[in-house]
Amino acid sequence: MDYILNGFVEAFRLIFSFDPEIIQIVLLSLFVSFSATLYGTLIGVPLGIALGIHHFRGKKVVSRFLYTFMSFPPVIIGLFTALFLARSGPFGQFQLMYTPTAMIIAQTILVTPVIMGIVFNHASTSGYEVVQTGKTLGARRWDILILLVLELKAVIMIALVTGFGRAISEVGAVMIVGGNIRGFTRVMTTFIAMNNNMGQYSVSIAMGLILMSISFFTNSLLYHFILGDQNEYRD
Amino acid sequence: MNIETSHIKKIYQEKTVLSLDGQFSDLLFESGKIHGIIGPNGSGKTTLMKIIAGLIAPSSGAVLYNGQPLCQDIFSEMTYSTHTPTLFSRSVYQNIAYPLKIRKQEKNAIDQTVSQLLEEFEIDDIKDQSARHLSGGESQKIALARALSFSPKALFLDEPTANIDPKSIQIIEAALQKRNREQGLTIIIITHNLSQAFRICNHLTFLDQGSCLFSDRPEKIMTTSHSTIDEFISFNRF
Ligand SMILES: Nc1ncnc2c1ncn2[C@@H]1O[C@H](COP(=O)(O)OP(=O)(O)OP(=O)(O)O)[C@@H](O)[C@H]1O
Ligand SMILES: [Mg+2]
Repeated sequence: MDYILNGFVEAFRLIFSFDPEIIQIVLLSLFVSFSATLYGTLIGVPLGIALGIHHFRGKKVVSRFLYTFMSFPPVIIGLFTALFLARSGPFGQFQLMYTPTAMIIAQTILVTPVIMGIVFNHASTSGYEVVQTGKTLGARRWDILILLVLELKAVIMIALVTGFGRAISEVGAVMIVGGNIRGFTRVMTTFIAMNNNMGQYSVSIAMGLILMSISFFTNSLLYHFILGDQNEYRD
Repeated sequence: MNIETSHIKKIYQEKTVLSLDGQFSDLLFESGKIHGIIGPNGSGKTTLMKIIAGLIAPSSGAVLYNGQPLCQDIFSEMTYSTHTPTLFSRSVYQNIAYPLKIRKQEKNAIDQTVSQLLEEFEIDDIKDQSARHLSGGESQKIALARALSFSPKALFLDEPTANIDPKSIQIIEAALQKRNREQGLTIIIITHNLSQAFRICNHLTFLDQGSCLFSDRPEKIMTTSHSTIDEFISFNRF
């Protein structure tokens, strides 16, 4: 049992030693997952709103697909992305395999359905009511769009943080398309998995603690936002 | 605004929920009057009102507004409110100001109109509160104030005084009658409160199982010899 305690002691030493390699790995993780969340938001929010507020044939099927994709295993998405990006694949000529770009692409595919699903879900319930109400009060196309984004902004924040949480914590997709190359595509989760395999528990624990702190921090931001929401509407 | 419906029918998944034909195939909601729609649960009142308000399309039949089919200009002169209104997540004041803001009115003019409404509906003390955490009755009053803020030509209300205390009912009825009298506002109101219908309506329409059984001056409903209507009225008397 000693190795666990020693692991934690060593972990704190590592964290406060500000090892440049660890810093670089953390920064790359943040960069990749932030980028993926950003693209996921740009695609998922408008699409989720548009699909949510309109009634159309096959909406149920669309939502079922969406919810399935929300919980798709990251490894499968990594594999799928790899098939397309591999040298002999349809996008092989761009030589994206084993680059941070490939990781961003895979994570974007991973988080877009999450963001879209959450926004879609709320847009089809409360969003529909908001649209109808806006219309009866004389709101035109642009007014309604502005109204919707304002009404759904807490939901959009939740979607964003959830998407980011899924991206930063997944290991399967980045492992397959990134390859865990030292100093190039190594991110926190692949670093943990690798060191754990090699029995280097203390570094794993150290990185695990950093990862947990980041999750804690982003979720705190979210709660701050939602709770702050109740008192901010004053003119 | 004169509103005429003609042979309206609404079918949901092969279930006919509203079908106006026969003697009452064409209904006229005369301009400047207060019209009541009454009838049992599930009789199609809300469906008819949403069709008239242009929120859902009828499966067949037509609605004319001053003889014209619905267009954006007519649509933006009408409004619709229910007993379970959707308020926007901003202050009470901002909710009531919303229709005026999107109509690009001056800040001073908006302030004046909204202040008057806040006073009229006795909700001045909650004007800065978020509209998300209010009682049902408060929400209904705000929704009505919001609907009235831009002085629409036609107002459609689905049970606006359900769950409202007696004093507030009086405030609401007075507000409706005032605008009807002073601005010639055409009002269609769904209510389960028959004495309210007799108090404020100039015209009543009775729906039952998607059909219209009566559409005339309120006092005449007492002399119709229709068993459904008789039963409905007898339950309202206590
Ligand atoms: N979107 C819908 N899809 C399927 N059926 C519907 C839909 N909306 C209404 N109905 C059905 O249409 C019928 C009439 O409904 P409506 O809401 O018009 O009744 P109502 O007279 O307003 O009743 P209440 O007094 O309870 O409000 C009901 O049987 C209802 O189940
Ligand atoms: Mg109803």
